Parts: sequence; structure tokens; C-alpha cells
Amino acid sequence: MKKISFTLNGEERHLELEPWRSLLDALRNEAGLTGTKKGCDVGDCGACTVLVDGKPLNSCLMLGVEADGREVVTIEGIEHPLQEKFAQLGGAQCGFCTPGMIVMAKALLDENPNPTEDEIRFGIAGNICRCTGYTRIVEAIEAAAKEMKK
Amino acid sequence: MSDFSVIGESQLRPDMPGKVSGRAQYAGDLSLPGMLHAKTKRSNVAHARIKRIDATRALAYEGVKAVLTHHDVPRVLHYGSPHPRSASVTKDQYILDSKVRYWGESVAVVAAVSEEIAEEALDLIEVEYETLPALLTVDEAFSSSVRIHELRNDNLVVDPVTVRRGDVEKGFKEADLIVEGTYAMGRPTPAYMEPNVCVSQWSEDRLTMWISTQTPFMVRGILAEVLGLPLTKVRVLVDHMGGGFGAKQDLFQTEFLCALLAKKAGRPVRMEFTRKETFLGGRSRHPGTVWLKQGFRKDGTISARQARVTFNSGAYGSHAPGVTAVGTTALTSLYRCDNVLLEGRAVYTNTPIAGAYRGYGVVQTYYALDIQMDEAAEKLGMDPAALKLKNAVREGDLSPSGHPIVGHGLEDCIKRGMEETSWPVTRKSGHGVVRRGRGMGCEMHGSSAYPGIKEQGNATVRMNDDGTAQLFTGTTGLGTGAHTALAQVVAEELGLRFEDVSVVHGDTDVVPWDIGAFASHTTYMGGRAAQMAAAEVKKQLLSIAAEALEASHQDLEIRQGVVRVKGSDRQISVRDAVSPKLGLPTPQLIASATYKPTKSYSFAAHFVEVQVDTETGQIDVLQVVPVHEVGRVIHPVAAAGQIEGGIQQGIGHTLTEDYVIDPQTGRSLNAGFVDYKMPLSLDMPPIRTILLETAPDPGGPFGAKGVGEDPIIAIGPAIANAVYDAIGLRFRHYPITPEDVVSGLRQKRKV
Amino acid sequence: MRRFEYFEPATLAEASALLARYGARAQPLAGGTDLLVELKEQLRRADCVVNIKKIPGIAAMSFDPRAGLRIGALVTAREIEISPVTAKYYPSLVQAARELGSIQVRNRATIVGNVCRASPSADTLPPLIADGAVVSIHGGQGTRRVPLEDFFTGPGKTVLKSGELMTEIVVPPPAPRTGKVYIKHGRRKAMELATVGVAVTLELEDEVRIVLGAVAPTPIRAKAAEALLRGREIDPALIERAARAAVEESRPISNVRASAEYRREMVGVLTRRALQRALDAVR
Repeated sequence: MKKISFTLNGEERHLELEPWRSLLDALRNEAGLTGTKKGCDVGDCGACTVLVDGKPLNSCLMLGVEADGREVVTIEGIEHPLQEKFAQLGGAQCGFCTPGMIVMAKALLDENPNPTEDEIRFGIAGNICRCTGYTRIVEAIEAAAKEMKK
Repeated sequence: MSDFSVIGESQLRPDMPGKVSGRAQYAGDLSLPGMLHAKTKRSNVAHARIKRIDATRALAYEGVKAVLTHHDVPRVLHYGSPHPRSASVTKDQYILDSKVRYWGESVAVVAAVSEEIAEEALDLIEVEYETLPALLTVDEAFSSSVRIHELRNDNLVVDPVTVRRGDVEKGFKEADLIVEGTYAMGRPTPAYMEPNVCVSQWSEDRLTMWISTQTPFMVRGILAEVLGLPLTKVRVLVDHMGGGFGAKQDLFQTEFLCALLAKKAGRPVRMEFTRKETFLGGRSRHPGTVWLKQGFRKDGTISARQARVTFNSGAYGSHAPGVTAVGTTALTSLYRCDNVLLEGRAVYTNTPIAGAYRGYGVVQTYYALDIQMDEAAEKLGMDPAALKLKNAVREGDLSPSGHPIVGHGLEDCIKRGMEETSWPVTRKSGHGVVRRGRGMGCEMHGSSAYPGIKEQGNATVRMNDDGTAQLFTGTTGLGTGAHTALAQVVAEELGLRFEDVSVVHGDTDVVPWDIGAFASHTTYMGGRAAQMAAAEVKKQLLSIAAEALEASHQDLEIRQGVVRVKGSDRQISVRDAVSPKLGLPTPQLIASATYKPTKSYSFAAHFVEVQVDTETGQIDVLQVVPVHEVGRVIHPVAAAGQIEGGIQQGIGHTLTEDYVIDPQTGRSLNAGFVDYKMPLSLDMPPIRTILLETAPDPGGPFGAKGVGEDPIIAIGPAIANAVYDAIGLRFRHYPITPEDVVSGLRQKRKV
Repeated sequence: MRRFEYFEPATLAEASALLARYGARAQPLAGGTDLLVELKEQLRRADCVVNIKKIPGIAAMSFDPRAGLRIGALVTAREIEISPVTAKYYPSLVQAARELGSIQVRNRATIVGNVCRASPSADTLPPLIADGAVVSIHGGQGTRRVPLEDFFTGPGKTVLKSGELMTEIVVPPPAPRTGKVYIKHGRRKAMELATVGVAVTLELEDEVRIVLGAVAPTPIRAKAAEALLRGREIDPALIERAARAAVEESRPISNVRASAEYRREMVGVLTRRALQRALDAVR
């Protein structure tokens, strides 16, 4: 077992983890935050996307112990106009891909506050949604970007 | 639409705040003290008898608390999907059998203190197989003397379905043109984002199960039956679900195994599929073939239609009977024809199980029918949309279920789509490397599972003493927003504000019985029952208000939570009307309603533009204009969302999705997202959804009909027809791969 | 994942020693986007995982007009994707990085990792080989350099010996008037493994290198095709001949992604397109 200390959604956390525990499993189990979802566990679907030191990545492909000393942000730590837009505009249906999608969209807007539709679609290319056909996800991200310009 | 105060608006879905914040709970998010994790050992042969299976070493492994093989579970035959006394499903599955019938079938399960330990323990389970000849294709299944199941004398799942109307022989004689073809369908799977999961916990002799299922009452029923428990001792809970698309109305053996492991270990157990297991142990759409022959008169009307539908059910029957019946019977309709002879059958093979999946057999049969209409149009020198418009079923025609069709929904869809896309366009037949084409396809689909299942919609509405109301519904929340629509229906009927109605669902101990959320049943059946129950409560409410306002019922109207005397300024809020008064008992305003089986049909026409790279064979969908007639739009965003999502799945199975089984070994070749190719954000076209309300059905709440399955049916033939327009190649199968295009173009050049 | 021993060595020497000691039972961990997947799907076993991300001096990417581009072992695909330097001088490598997985994957996946995994369809390999990349390998005996072209011996197999670690890739500076193109063939626009990959580095009327991915056990140079073009004035007819030569040199297999026949045909199409685009970029 390894002891790690890291910042999780702005709070200092201390966990004891086996090295083979993925960050995803550590977040969902040891850290008690089940908002981040496991869609495939092998980096193909993006449902487990979290921010580590501001960068979006698949938490299923990172070992939990690697979070030591880092800043991790999950959906629970996000407050962003994206959420309201996803909720109102049909950006979410079953909601399973939504946490990962919103985290990725936030990272996208952090880097590029004025994305074109192509840039949005390119940005979320690693997030699978099986319910919406992506149309309203793109709309919601565009609406959030617009909102933030005000 | 503006006559309504609640429906027709895209109200904020109450499940949204939880879903966008990560707070929404799904079954796999639940953690119980002492909870164990279960893993499944799966076969690596397609057809074999288990000569010996020994889990002793696994049980002795540190951290393992319980193990089950076929020796340890009740030997009870059950339906894979236990719709009670239903003609749609087959009773041919054991929880664990001494035989395996497809590569990947479960042979044993382990519950341990961690997932890692459970997985390691699987390696310690010893299995000796005696391989049997594997029948991996439909042809093999028909011609072989080997029986996959001992229940019948052949490898058919059920007796073939035959549907006859009129006289086909006479019809063909009348025909001026006969068109015939065989159409072939691959194997798409639903690939919902949330893998199947359940959690079981026993308390004394009472079982509680949290599960991602579309059919909690079915799960409750079958668990009770197989485990020998009264229904009062089994409670099934469903909160949020990460998609199902029809496939999560089956049982996956995990339900029994999870419950039995929990009982054996004396601790709660969670069993969750890996993504790979959602393929191996999940349900795909039925692959198969449709042979179709139609006779056309010079004027384009259809004089005869004959078809033979053959579906590959995989190793177990699951929904083969229902899918075959519905898919086959659907061919009596869509385009009018008085003389019809249809045969449908489903056959076992030693491959993964095909089951219920959005579209339920009609995706396959209408793919064939609609493409053949385009073929006929070309031969008749007619525009395909015009031909389809001419033959479109309409008011009074018999639908596949035998009910008369209401309105002219299909015609309305086709006409509107033609307008919106300026159809037909004089196509400049391109000679460039990249060529564009346009096509259209139509469909119709029924709301409700009648007549395959003796289903009904049930609802209870209760008014609280602060003027808010609760709807108790047994329908499940797949994620479509249907519960929001139900709340809107109740609010509209009762005259309340949308925010004043909440929906109680997902607990079999509390809500009325329901078959579950599938067959596009929720809005239509569940909604109508909710409306009926609300209407009853409204009567009770009006009595109280009438007294308070000293008026009679007929003079009152309720809107946005306020009861008014028409034409006067006397009013009272609903809240004040029902709130407790000093010294008087609070009236209990509650009513239940049951809506008996009936059926209505929704319609759609999809207009599509594609682009084909003639050198690589790559097909891209550039634009989709789906036109859907749904009777009444309760929640525009939710309705459009269903359509757009269905189009994603439809584009997938028409162009890139195919769950491939090795024809030599029966092994799954692409049980994962890396090689099972779903369209992603960069692959999906812009979609301009158009909703029509021109044929409301009085049987639905405020005339509303279903919409969940329609989009996935119309998009496929629209794409195939557009590809023909682009490159002059007629494809009669899906998926249409780049290789198909390249080799087809090569053949064409030789000619 | 099955259980394993875990180390975070602080130096290259420590890492090499660990890898040498455990031999085939140890796996180095950088980005983890291949390793963790393979461990989870049980395509690889690791009794011991050696996380090399704490080792100093291997995380930098730098460019010098004379020495070229140095890509340290921990440089991610995303860094290559968004760097203005690579955009200017190594556009085919950028194109390859851009199409590797998703942004989430690219934020972790390292270029060196992509190289060492040695999948015949790996995206970064053809452009790196076409640009003449050389790799540095650290082992018990010190550091050795190997041209990337000679690094691969089979699908997933390289010349790395037990205890060795790749520390950086050096890509020569581009000659003036060079066109560099990478085209990846797949059924989807992202999250794809190449069914065919073609990289072309073309120095006008001088040198040309064509590298094919996913159509042989390793990435291969289409040398016969190159020979047709080298030093010549290139016109569409010559491009067509070169493309056909490249087809003849490819030896693809059939699998669930594509048939061998289709892949061969795509080699021709993509080689032709890549050559044309490289030419257009230079003119």
C-alpha cells in the first residue's frame, strides 16, 4: 500500500492505495466520488475524464498513486455554465457520459474560449455518447462559450 | 401547441441537475458495507458439454467468499426476458448449464473482497470441455443434424410465423413489374455507455436488488419465481440508468448469480460487466436476411408482396419470437399492398445472443422494403419519394397490429421532407473522386408492446396537502426524459405548474406494476394512464374547489395551479383549496388508472445527403433532415434528442458497426470500442429535426405517440439510397463498408 | 488489473537495474495508455511495473536549427501536437500526433512510448522514420544510438535488450524546401488504429522517403517507390508509378479491421495523395 497526498477538487486528501488501483477506481472507491464513470476502463470512451493539473485525461489509464502531489478535478469540483446549458438544451439524456463530457468541454473552453463547431467536435472526439447524436452537446458547449463572453 | 400551459415546452428535466453535477446515482455507484465484488468465468469454446468443473481452489483463495458453478444453482428453465405469459420470448435458459452454447457464455462466478482477487480466482476454476460441433452460421444451423437446444426437433427458436392478406399469386399476375432481392443484415449492438450492473443484498429472507434494468417488475417476478420467494420478499430498485436501448429488458444470468452469491456469502454483492462482457454477455440486434419480392402496377401501386425473413438468434432465443413476429408483420404495412404473404423464422446458432434492441426486427425488414421501393422507382421511371408518397399507408388502412391507422402521418412526413430539402434536385452526376448523393427512407413504428405482450399502462396520482402532486409510475427511466414527459402530462391534466409535479419511480415496493420501458411504451401507455389518473384526481379537486368558490364543476378551470371561475375573477389556488383546515380532516386526493392494450403508430421520413470517396470507399453522411410525426410533442428537446440519438445508432449500423464473430471458431473478434466502431463527434452530421403533430392518436395522452424507435429505422435505407444516388451502386446489406464500395466500383468499371 | 510490484526509480541507472533484474516480468510505465490497457485485457503480464516519470532529464522537448528536434522519453503526443515548433518544421509528425487516440489519451501517451510499443500501425512511426529519426537507448553499457528505421524487428518487437530504456528521439532538422505529409487511413475520424498509414518526406528534386505503416510486421520504407522518384522531376504519371511500386512492397494481413487486398489498394491511393500533397506543400 502506498500513501499519497493530493488536492482533490480544491481539498487536500490523503489516501492509501494499492499501486494497481487506477485513479478512476481510487476516485470512485477510496475517495468516495462516484460522479466519474467507468464506461470501458481502457481509455476508449472518455466517460472517466478528469483534470490532472488542468489537463483532461482518462483516469482509467492512470494509476491512483500517480496522483501524488497533483491537482485533480472531477465533475464534483466543477461549477460552470456548461452544466446549465447541458441541462437545458438536451446535452444530456441518460447522463452516463455527461461527467466526462463536461470535464472535457471545460478543458476545451479553458484553452480555447471561442471554439468553432469543428474545434468543439475535435475536442470531444474522445468522448462517446450513445444517446444524443452529439448535436445538442455541441449546441450546449457553444451556448456556454457564448455565455462566458458576456 | 399554445393551448397548453405545460406540455409542448422543454421543461427542465428534474434528473438533469444530478446528471450534470455527478450527483446522480447509478446502480454501480452504490456502495454497501461489506460489499463483495463478483466476476464471471466465461467459456472459450462455442459449443461444448462441461465434463468437469471444479471451483475448489478458487473457493480456497484468500479473499474469496463464494463461488457458484452449475452444480450450485437451481436448475430451472427460464425466459431470458421474463415478460409474463408473453409470446415474444423463449424459455430456454438456465442460470448456469452443464453445456455452453456460445463462446463467452458464463460457466462460473466468484464473489471476493476485491475485483482483483475475484479475477485472479477465476483462473483457479478448472473446466474440462467436451467440444461439440459448433453451428456458427444460419446455413449450418439449418443443414446440420446437431441440436443446439434439446427442446425442439430442429434449430428453430419457435415455429415460423406466417402472415397472409389477400392473394399474392393473383397480385403478382396483375403486376407490370416484378422486383426481387435478398437483403442481408449484420450485427450491431446497443453499446449503452453504462455496462450492466446489479447489487444484491439479503436481509433475513428478503432480497433487495439495485440494478440497471428497463424491466424491474420482470426482474422481480423472475427472481421470485426461480428463487421460490413470494413477491413481497423481493424488492427491485432502479434509479438512474446509463442507457438500455431495449437490450436491458433481458436477464443476463447476472441477476440470479448476484443474488445467489449474496445469499451464499451472507454479504451484499455487486456484479458489473466489463465493457467486453457487454458484448459477450449482452444482446445484439438479430443478424439475418430478408428475401423480398414485390409486384408493381404501371402506375406505381403495389399489387403483391412476398417475403421470407430469417433471423439469427444466437445461442438462446431471448426475443427472437417477438422480433421475428414484429419484423415480419411490419411488412404488411408502410407501403400499401392488399396481397401479402410473409414468412418469418429465427434460428439458433452457437454465437452471442441476439435480443431486443431499438427497432425490434423492423430495422431489418424496412431496410429491405424501403431500398426495394427505390429500386422499383428507378425501373418505373418515377421519383422514389413520389413512389413512396403514393403508396404510403394512411387513415383507415390496417396497421401491422390490426388496428386502423389514424391520420396521414406518413404522407405528411414525406411531403414536408421534400419541401425542406427541395426534393427532387437535378443531380449532376459527379465524375470527381468525391461524389455526393441524396436519398430518403421511411418508416412507421408502434407504441406499446401489444400484441406480443399483454401489457398495460398503470399510474397512480396523489395530491399532497400543499397542492403539489406525485405520479407513481412503474415505467423505468432509461434516460430518455420520458418521466419528465409524464410529469408534464399530469401537470397539464391537473392544471398545475410543472414544478408542482414529481414522479416516483423505480421501487417495485411502491409503484404500480409496469412491463417496463420499451416498445416506445412509456409516453403512450404510461402517459395515458397518468393522464387518466390525473383526470380522476382533478374531479376530486374540482369538487373541493367548487364548494369553496360556490360554483359548479363545469364553470371551473385550472391552470398553472390556480382554479378560476370562468368569466369571473373568483379564484382559489390549488394549494389553498386542498390545504388542511382547522378541525377538518384533509381530503385524500388519490386515483389510479389502468390503460388496456392498444396500439398507435408514429411515422418518419429521413432525408439524407452523403458523400462517397470513390478511391477509399469512405462514406460520410453530410446532413440529415429527419421528419417525424408523433401526434403531440410533449417535450420538444427530449423528442428531438431521441431522434438524433437514434440516427447516431442508425448511421453506425448502416456504415461502421458490426459485432464480428469468427466464422471458424465462434470467437468474438471485436468485443470492445476500439474495433466496434460507433460514430463519434467528428463522424456525426448536422441534424435538422422536424417534428409534426398532424396525426394525434386519441389513445395517447393529449394525442401523443412514441418516438424512441422510429429514427433508427428510417435512417438506414435513406443512407443506402443516397449512396446509390452518389455512385450508382445498389447495396442491399448493412454495414456498407469502404471495401464494399471499392470492390463494387471496381466491378462496375469492368462491366 | 492483476496485482504487481511497483517502483518509482529516481535515476536512469536505477530504472535499468530494475528492468534488467526482472527481465520480461517487468514493464516500464510512462504514459500508460498502452501498458494499462494491455494489463487490463491480459494481453501482457507484469509482475513489476517501473514508473519512469520521476527520472530527471528525459521530459524535455527542444529544437535547434542545427541539431534538430529532441524528444525526451516523457514528452507527450499532445505536446508535439500543439507546439509551434513542430507545426513549422515537422508537420507530418504533428498530423500523426493529432490523430493518435483522443486529447485525453494524448495528454498521457508519450512519443517514445508509441515507438517502443512498436505496433506496426502506430501513427508516429512512419513520419519519424521518414524524417530520419535516431533514438538514444540507455542500458547497462551506457548509451547507444540506433536509427529508428532499424529499431523494429517485428510486430511489438524491437532491438531493446533487457534493462534498456529509450531516453530520447532526435529528429534531424528539415532541409529547406521540404514537404512532409502523413495520411492515416481509418473508418472513423478519431479514436482509430490505422489500417494503413503513409508518411512522405520530400525534399524537392532531391531526397524522398516514403514510409508505410500497418502493412507489414514493422513500418517499412517503400524503397522501390522512392528510387523511382529520387532526384527526378515529379509529375502525376511518376507519382502513379511510385504509388504502384509502394503497393507491391507492402505485405499487409487481413483482420477484423480490413482485408489485405483493401489495404494494398489503399497503399496506392494514400501514397499517391501523400506525394501530391507533399509536392504541393513544397511548391
